Amino acid sequence: MRRRTQLARAMGRCWVAAGAAVILAYSLAPFVWILIASITPEATADASHPWSSARAVQYFPAAPTLRNYVDLFRDVPFALYFRNSTIVATGTMLLGLVLASLGAYGFVRFRFTGRASLLTAMLLTYMIPSVVLLVPLLVIFRRLGLINTFPGLILAESTNTAPFVLLLMINYFSTLPRELEEAAQVDGCTRLGTLVRIVIPLAAPGLVAGGLLAFIMTWNNFVFAYLFTTTDNVKTLPVILRLFVLGEPAVWGVSAAGAILTTLPVALLFLLFQRMLIGGLSAGAVKG
Amino acid sequence: MIAERAACAINGAAIRRLRNRSLPYAFILPIGVLLLAVSVYPVLYAVWIGLSDATLLQLARARFIGLGNLLRMAQDDVFLQGLWRTVRWDAAVVLSELAIALPIALFLNLSFRGRGFVRAAVLLPYIIPPAVTALLWVYMVDGHFGVINDLLVRLHVLAHPVSWLGESGGSFAVVTAAMVWAGQPLMAIILLAVLQAIPRELYEAAMVDGASAWQGFRLITLPHLMPTILFLLLLRIIWMSNYVDMIYIMTQGGPGFSNYTESVYSFMLIQQFDIGYASAVAVVLAIILMLGSIFYVRHLVRSVLA
Repeated sequence: MRRRTQLARAMGRCWVAAGAAVILAYSLAPFVWILIASITPEATADASHPWSSARAVQYFPAAPTLRNYVDLFRDVPFALYFRNSTIVATGTMLLGLVLASLGAYGFVRFRFTGRASLLTAMLLTYMIPSVVLLVPLLVIFRRLGLINTFPGLILAESTNTAPFVLLLMINYFSTLPRELEEAAQVDGCTRLGTLVRIVIPLAAPGLVAGGLLAFIMTWNNFVFAYLFTTTDNVKTLPVILRLFVLGEPAVWGVSAAGAILTTLPVALLFLLFQRMLIGGLSAGAVKG
Repeated sequence: MIAERAACAINGAAIRRLRNRSLPYAFILPIGVLLLAVSVYPVLYAVWIGLSDATLLQLARARFIGLGNLLRMAQDDVFLQGLWRTVRWDAAVVLSELAIALPIALFLNLSFRGRGFVRAAVLLPYIIPPAVTALLWVYMVDGHFGVINDLLVRLHVLAHPVSWLGESGGSFAVVTAAMVWAGQPLMAIILLAVLQAIPRELYEAAMVDGASAWQGFRLITLPHLMPTILFLLLLRIIWMSNYVDMIYIMTQGGPGFSNYTESVYSFMLIQQFDIGYASAVAVVLAIILMLGSIFYVRHLVRSVLA
């Protein structure tokens, strides 16, 4: 009898291990494969076949190399695109955090006429598909000279991120105790002072989650960066990755290295702040 | 003198009351102005452009043509077939996501060592850029050096490597597979949260009553999950109908028009400078999806202000 339960338990453990292996393979194998591609030296420098079809399937390179990563910065303006992505994502994050924190505080701590309908209107803007905004923003940006500028891209990205961070911050501020704020006000703190000195420090984990998710959403977005830019000076990483997909610069190792380095920042942020981010992901169900 | 003072006090109180009353609006004003400028006004503008024959090259000469673009849609095969292609894309992606996410959520709900690691790995495809996902999958299914072809040939499923993205059925399958890979973690993690909130006692009571594991799943787990599942289906259908990134990057909508969903069609029209018609297509799509969106936002507002 006892032996049978032991056997059953061992079997159960085997099943769990097998399940975990299948899930890990499904989720991670593509990353492993592209990582291998990025350290595989370009097969043959055959002048008569310079295109990618000269490449063959290779499960592990005989002579792994970091050459592709060097070429990525030498042959392609990857560093420039990386800088642009950082600027746009950081700018969008900061703008979203400031405006959404103010707004969320207003919605959570006050009762006023039009509260529900104003909030409904703001969250409805989150449901406006980006496709609808592309044409009008393109025309407006051209007229105002915002094409090929960082402020233009940041404003466009904010159509996604600002309402999302607002929703997240409202959720977070509602969980904070009122008493501390009231005490601060009794001691002569203004409302804005209370927000900056008491609420923001208390809400730090929520702000980190909202800010990072806004950063990641912007880092990942393709359509705005693709339509509202024409020069390398402002284009972001997803735009150059599209060129890689189209087979430019026809060196798969370099494209793979680009994919790895584009993924790295968001993957690291996610792994470091996993606990805070997961709550936000499920609460707001990121657009896209 | 006393009367004067009283008037003054009343005045001060009125000002203070006014200031207090306008204070909340001051807090929500900045984000209100931003959304008004980058979302609300552009949407109205999109409707107006959609009622015109504007092209990007001669914007100033755009004429108001009323519902002319609607008539054009009614005769436009790409648009009409695009409706079916959108439904097909939605159904294929969303149902596959559910079919993969539900088992993963059930699995992650078990307690075992290394669960945190597996959960992080599951979420990773969701947070990376769609452009990276596109590159990963295009690389894996390549007709010459794609690992998937190689494995299928080794397993004798295929006689020789196939150029998946070169034909319409294959490219649809590949883009769907890539989208599902990147999209299912959201469903898995939300379903997991619901599973973890189901009280253990329910299962214990069912066991005492002699219920099997399958009965426990069917009579306890599924009813608890159902509202969330329906919600996720609705939400994902809305997002997927508006989706451009991965379809465009991997296939440019092709070969032919085979992957032209309505949103991809609108995106392609913009690049042909046909912005009046592009806007009309996007607005029609948005109106169709609006009912679902309103339902979702009403739920959000209710849960947030509760």
